Amino acid sequence: MSEWEPKIVSFLCNWCSYGAADLAGVGRMEYPANIRVIRIPCTGRMSPKFALAALREGADGVWVSG
Amino acid sequence: MGIEPGRLHFSWISSAESTKFVKVATEVTQAVKELGPNRHFVKEKVKVA
Amino acid sequence: MQEYTDKIRQIARRLLEEGTVDMVIGFRKGSMPIMNEPCMVRRPQDVDQLVWDSNCGINLANYLTDRKEKIGVVAKGCDSRNIVTHIIENKIDRDQLHIIGVPCGAMIDKRKIASLVEGEITDVTETEAGKVIVKGEGFEKSFDKAEVLQENCAICIHRNPVVHDEMVAEPVEEQTDVDRYADIREIEAMSDAERKAFFDDLYKECIRCYACRNACPLCYCPTCFVDESRPQWVGKGQNENDIRTFHFLRAYHCAGRCTDCGACERACPVGIKVRMLTKKLEKDCKELFDWEAGISLENRPPLDAYRPNDPDEFIK
Repeated sequence: MSEWEPKIVSFLCNWCSYGAADLAGVGRMEYPANIRVIRIPCTGRMSPKFALAALREGADGVWVSG
Repeated sequence: MGIEPGRLHFSWISSAESTKFVKVATEVTQAVKELGPNRHFVKEKVKVA
Repeated sequence: MQEYTDKIRQIARRLLEEGTVDMVIGFRKGSMPIMNEPCMVRRPQDVDQLVWDSNCGINLANYLTDRKEKIGVVAKGCDSRNIVTHIIENKIDRDQLHIIGVPCGAMIDKRKIASLVEGEITDVTETEAGKVIVKGEGFEKSFDKAEVLQENCAICIHRNPVVHDEMVAEPVEEQTDVDRYADIREIEAMSDAERKAFFDDLYKECIRCYACRNACPLCYCPTCFVDESRPQWVGKGQNENDIRTFHFLRAYHCAGRCTDCGACERACPVGIKVRMLTKKLEKDCKELFDWEAGISLENRPPLDAYRPNDPDEFIK
């Protein structure tokens, strides 16, 4: 690996950002490949323990999007 | 408390806003890249011989 | 203090004899000095166990969750606020409770006293003039009560119960000129690295006994996140990240609910100032939502109600 690339765990709401990500895919838009998506049923499902668990397991960033 | 402010991002994107999704994804990646690897909070795996 | 004790006994006896309540929760003398213990009295002939003095720091609201019977509970300011929180969160019904309000004269800190004297303490008494007399093997010392208060009591602004069915005495004067958040502002002013060092130092002694959790009236989940094993959110050992995770999550669970009763800090066997974590959240709730936990039965807490003017600058 020549250059360090961050791993970003993203928690996306099924109805909002996950849809937006899907649409971005359908529209063949380009975005950084550092994003690892986890779909959650609603942003209300988010819990601080998810964010801490992601960081503990070695994620470089956490992104929560509703 | 050990987590830099730029490591955790929140946003609100409607399912129709794919351009905003791409924009925010790029911004988040950029912010985390600038911080460098996460060293503070990673739990080292136990080494088994 | 003796008047308080007499009055509590008198009220408890009346309630139990009339059958208004099935039990009264209060304090009795512990087997060690400065350590009063909670006491459930079910028979009128047992009410003489009940006492009240400046060693009643344990939060009795902790013993109310999911009870079915009618309960008389002795409550100082912070206990009453935690009772309000329990009622809001449907952990107990207001009709089940007969709250015996005690205007609180602040509690004394056993750890402070132990650090001020050498040798074993055998007896601690209080005089009407606001002195605390500590006796032990071959010594007797007197301190001003103000010197040996629990830290949360020294900055308390709700000493009188916010809900009560009857009061033991006239309300005491509330403190008005206290700066509750001086230490938190200091931490906020630190750089990221300093802050990390500060907190690492704060809980480096932690032995993961979970006494802070058990003493806290807010912690009543049937399965605590630290005990969940599938998935396991937090490791059980002394790994520094697991300790950190435990303290962060414990504090977050208290956001908007903590009344700064000090039970966690009092319970900690190694003297960690765990309130430093919850107090920041308390300060944020005050500043962002103008919210103090457990003050009224009508308002919903900020974290379970949406208001269009909620602050949202952190969201992109």
